[in-house]
Amino acid sequence: MELTIERGDNALTASVNGRIDSTNARDFEEAIRTKIEDGDRAVIMDFENLSYISSAGLRAVLMTAKTLWKRDAKFALCSLSGPVKEVFEISGFDKIIPIHDTREGALSSLDS
Amino acid sequence: MNESVSDGALELSLVNDLREIGAAAEKIDAFCEARSLSPQIAYAVNLSIDEILTNTISYGYDDEEEHRIDLTLRQEGDTLVVVIVDDGRAFDSSLEREPNVDATLEERALGGLGLFLVQQMMDDVDYQRRDTLNVITLRKSTSGQDEE
Repeated sequence: MELTIERGDNALTASVNGRIDSTNARDFEEAIRTKIEDGDRAVIMDFENLSYISSAGLRAVLMTAKTLWKRDAKFALCSLSGPVKEVFEISGFDKIIPIHDTREGALSSLDS
Repeated sequence: MNESVSDGALELSLVNDLREIGAAAEKIDAFCEARSLSPQIAYAVNLSIDEILTNTISYGYDDEEEHRIDLTLRQEGDTLVVVIVDDGRAFDSSLEREPNVDATLEERALGGLGLFLVQQMMDDVDYQRRDTLNVITLRKSTSGQDEE
């Protein structure tokens, strides 16, 4: 798994390339957590190049969502591939975390 | 990880190390691709095997020794059959709790998703205890795979 973090004007965007599974989910969650600063009001996870996520990865995403919620910061996912999106839907995560088709869509949702 | 193929079945022999799962996933993907199974089916099978192996490797053993886990994939007509055999402790299904997929973000529990995903993504999940072995059999229909 490769993680690329960019800090834009409105959001911190984390792009993931590869797999998030039980071998790296904790590292993933920690890498994101340590990058989030007090001033960050929104975080977007761009999953365009995420080929695979298991329940361990879902747990890491949920932990991030809960942390941001407590800080009153926004959180959204974007660009999920078909099977990855299905896993989020089966888990019910699509009801508690906003999921957008594109990064642009996720970014513009932050304005509302 | 050791690999063998007999009668078109893929047989993998793994040890109880989480890093084996990613290596097995490549073999499973190749097996599915060779049979023209959809990426959705390959994902569902990979995820189910991953969740079961992660559970067994993380929580299934009472010692720190190396253990062997046998994994077999074969196609029987329109069904993909996966058999996982390990010598971990017997699985206690009474510990299983269904996640509340309708909970709010604040209420949503962090765990309990793995085996739930297996139940949702497979057509049939069977567990048997045979002497000192756990035998888990998963079945996934491969017909009508282009349908949503």
